[in-house]
Amino acid sequence: MSYPLWRLRAGSALLPDQTAAADVFGPLDRLTLERLLKAALQNGGEFAEIYAEHSVRNSFILDEERISAARCGVDTGLGIRVLNAARTGYAYSENLDVEELEKTAHAASLIGRGAGGRNVSALRKKSFSSHYLVRTSPESIASKEKAALLRNANSMARSYDRRIKQVKIVYEEHIKKILIANTEGVLANDNSTQTNLGLFVSASDNGKTSSGYAFKSGALGYEHYDMKTVARLVNEAGRMAVSMLEAKDAPAGEYPVVMAKEHCGLFFHEAIGHSLEGDYALTRTSCFWDKKGSRIASEIVSLADQGVLPGSRGTINMDDEGTAGQRTILIDKGECRGFLFDRLNAELMKAASTGNGRRESFRFFPIPRMTNTYLMPGEDDPQDIVKSVSHGIYISRIIGGNVSPTTGNFVFIAPEAYLIESGKITSPLRSIQLIGRGTEVLKKITMIGPDLGSMDGGDCGKDDQSVPVSCGNPTFKVADITVGGARI
Amino acid sequence: MILPCGGRAEKERTLDHLERAQDVIEKALKMGGEDVDVYIEETREIELVVRNGEMEKVRRSHSKGLGLTIIKDKRPGFSYTSNLSPEYLAEIIKKTVGFSLIADPVPWLALAEDDGRKPADLDIWDPSIAQVEEKTKIDKLKTVEKIALSSDQRIRNSEGGVYKDRETEIVVANSNGVSRKSKSSYVSFGVNVIAEEAGQMKYGSWTSAKRHFRDLDGEENVAAKAVKRAVDKLGARPVATQKKPVLIDRYAASLFWQGILWALEGERALQRTTFLADSLYKQVTAKFITLMDDPTIPRHVASVPFDGEGRTTRKNLLIEQGKLGMFLYDTTAARRAGIEGNTIARRDGYKNMPSGGFLNAVVQNGNAKLSEMIKGIDEGIYVTELRGIGTDIPSGSFSVGATGFFIDKGAVAFPVDAMTLGGNTLEILKGIEQVADDLDMRGNINSPSFKVSEMTIGGK
Repeated sequence: MSYPLWRLRAGSALLPDQTAAADVFGPLDRLTLERLLKAALQNGGEFAEIYAEHSVRNSFILDEERISAARCGVDTGLGIRVLNAARTGYAYSENLDVEELEKTAHAASLIGRGAGGRNVSALRKKSFSSHYLVRTSPESIASKEKAALLRNANSMARSYDRRIKQVKIVYEEHIKKILIANTEGVLANDNSTQTNLGLFVSASDNGKTSSGYAFKSGALGYEHYDMKTVARLVNEAGRMAVSMLEAKDAPAGEYPVVMAKEHCGLFFHEAIGHSLEGDYALTRTSCFWDKKGSRIASEIVSLADQGVLPGSRGTINMDDEGTAGQRTILIDKGECRGFLFDRLNAELMKAASTGNGRRESFRFFPIPRMTNTYLMPGEDDPQDIVKSVSHGIYISRIIGGNVSPTTGNFVFIAPEAYLIESGKITSPLRSIQLIGRGTEVLKKITMIGPDLGSMDGGDCGKDDQSVPVSCGNPTFKVADITVGGARI
Repeated sequence: MILPCGGRAEKERTLDHLERAQDVIEKALKMGGEDVDVYIEETREIELVVRNGEMEKVRRSHSKGLGLTIIKDKRPGFSYTSNLSPEYLAEIIKKTVGFSLIADPVPWLALAEDDGRKPADLDIWDPSIAQVEEKTKIDKLKTVEKIALSSDQRIRNSEGGVYKDRETEIVVANSNGVSRKSKSSYVSFGVNVIAEEAGQMKYGSWTSAKRHFRDLDGEENVAAKAVKRAVDKLGARPVATQKKPVLIDRYAASLFWQGILWALEGERALQRTTFLADSLYKQVTAKFITLMDDPTIPRHVASVPFDGEGRTTRKNLLIEQGKLGMFLYDTTAARRAGIEGNTIARRDGYKNMPSGGFLNAVVQNGNAKLSEMIKGIDEGIYVTELRGIGTDIPSGSFSVGATGFFIDKGAVAFPVDAMTLGGNTLEILKGIEQVADDLDMRGNINSPSFKVSEMTIGGK
């Protein structure tokens, strides 16, 4: 999972669009969908599914006091998936002409073996309750107003401290309409809105430089982006940049570590969550594949993935296979309770989908993915957690996660960290690396606070597909973890 | 705005992409654009996955898209679309002109000029890929997986073999007269295996990627490399935290050079957000080190005839005999820096605007033998894989997760994991003592193995 910080250059775009879903997928009436599904099974597949998408992305970037980019982009297309036992055939088209779609259905059908003619159930509309917090669609707000928000944020950030020298602000919105139909009779659609505002500042003083950032993101309407939000982001990014001006080289070696609330949930997403995705369990390539029902963490650790958390970046009313989003307990008091499933992997493991079949766009078939993943709150006082460390490291936030689901080996960077000396947070430390094995760290979590707070949003990449997710955590302590700095 | 989804096919097919680009430029100029840039990409792709001898996944795709930049009063507007119908393009042009009014004027904003140079034929399109039977591709995967699974009894599981091939047509055109078109192909196959011993699972994978189908490495070769990368790690353990000489293997080296290449991006130099901002024309590493950007090597997987702005590519020396030679500017950044001449812009598909960056980095071969280099280390680390982000570009602080071997008295002693390497990128560059002669061109960052006199190794 990477944060907007790491994909600034790739900044994607948008286009205001007032079109209702019905118009967007105009040619796709019920009869056409049923005919395409039938065509997809012409070579003997067992299950077929249509996924149509219309996505509009808008973005504005303010850099060096200028709105340096205003971008929009539109993506429309339709993907057809055919399943035949464990085999997947997938094809897509950006052209929604019926003739083209029939060719697409044929291309996907080739995975089948044997005779076609399997029954296609009549399509029935399935509906879902909404967990998006959207009162004002960003599409109803003029671009000029968004540009003004960025300019105001820029002035506020520059006046935070005289040492703040550069400010970059990115606002993005993604409005997505999807339509799903399958041979089991499911017909479902969803209209979602994802927005995010990121603030990146750099400070310099006496030849030293540092940076700070903060962002807000989620399935949120434009009403969530006002000067109050901006003030919070400015304070957070500004405080980070200014305090990191004094950062010293970090030590290398094993140290007890306290992870700050809200901004270290990426650890659970990367180092634990991926290993609990159903595809790795099925192929036995996850370090947890045979651990269901076993103790894998200290007994204070409970971990959840919750697609229906209101307004978070990983929030989904339904997944990209038409299964309702839900809350899944992955670890309960240290015990592994199961995996995150899409339809295919669930079926092959004789389990039920957990509503985690997700895809980047119509260009991909769905795979098991996390949504909003978080460490559940504990009972230790956050101040006591820091006090319990005589010589260690306080990690304010981690980024840049990378993990192997097979070994559970992870690497993170802590762009903001401090020494803990005699139970007190002291000097800031220059960007350091955390490394270890998820399976071992889980057992070394010795204290957890009650302060879960809000989720941190970002984008997670897997098998070349990127999806929006979030993660969260209360303050917690790891007895020891390997830290890689330049100093011994 | 209503999206016309149907009825677009016919007109769309009658135009070739160069004509379409010219058409869009003309219309955009008529609608008030002062400078216009169009980028069109069309790709056909197939991806196959075989696991445990069974065909598991097939994904076929054919996609195209257009990225449009319109500059008005020095203000940029950008948009992209996967719908290329004339009605839709007309809407997009209008929208983009409108967007350019939201942006602020950027005084140095400029599109590339036509350089009048004829791009060389780099032989990067293999028309025969389209004729290769699907069965041949699947058999290739079945064979490589079978060899991998049977070559070592510690290989217990496979995460499958993946085959991909792709044909891409790219058009770059702008209102300054740039008008370029290229066709290229890409083909790759590889296998991912898991070795198990004493309760430890280790992952190894290898992929061969080329422009031409017949240039692919043999199945034996690919399987052997994947297997070696998995079994070599069995029994790995952490080492104590210490400072020691480090030998970085050629296949691990790209993550290190990536930090330097990113730090050379012109935009960062102009904003002074790179640790190399003050290093131009200075000696940053030993004299025997030369780093080039060379996208002109025939048939190489990262070679391209023109860059993201349509400028004919050429070989450029980024670090020449240890001296920093240039930053990577796109046209706008070069204008701002007051530089005439070489621009190098990359472009990550039609959804993005071009920006200054490397295309195919190559560190020149040295003359040391890897085996001799190992012999020359009393105690140190031979690193075979690096993970993480690497260099923090503003500060130059370098920190990564690493896997490799401990070297004891000139010989590889045991595998090491859960290790970090840390240091300052400028100091690491200065600490490079030896470069091997083992360059293997396989991606867009290519380097021989090299030895650094000392790095901080984080462990127990």
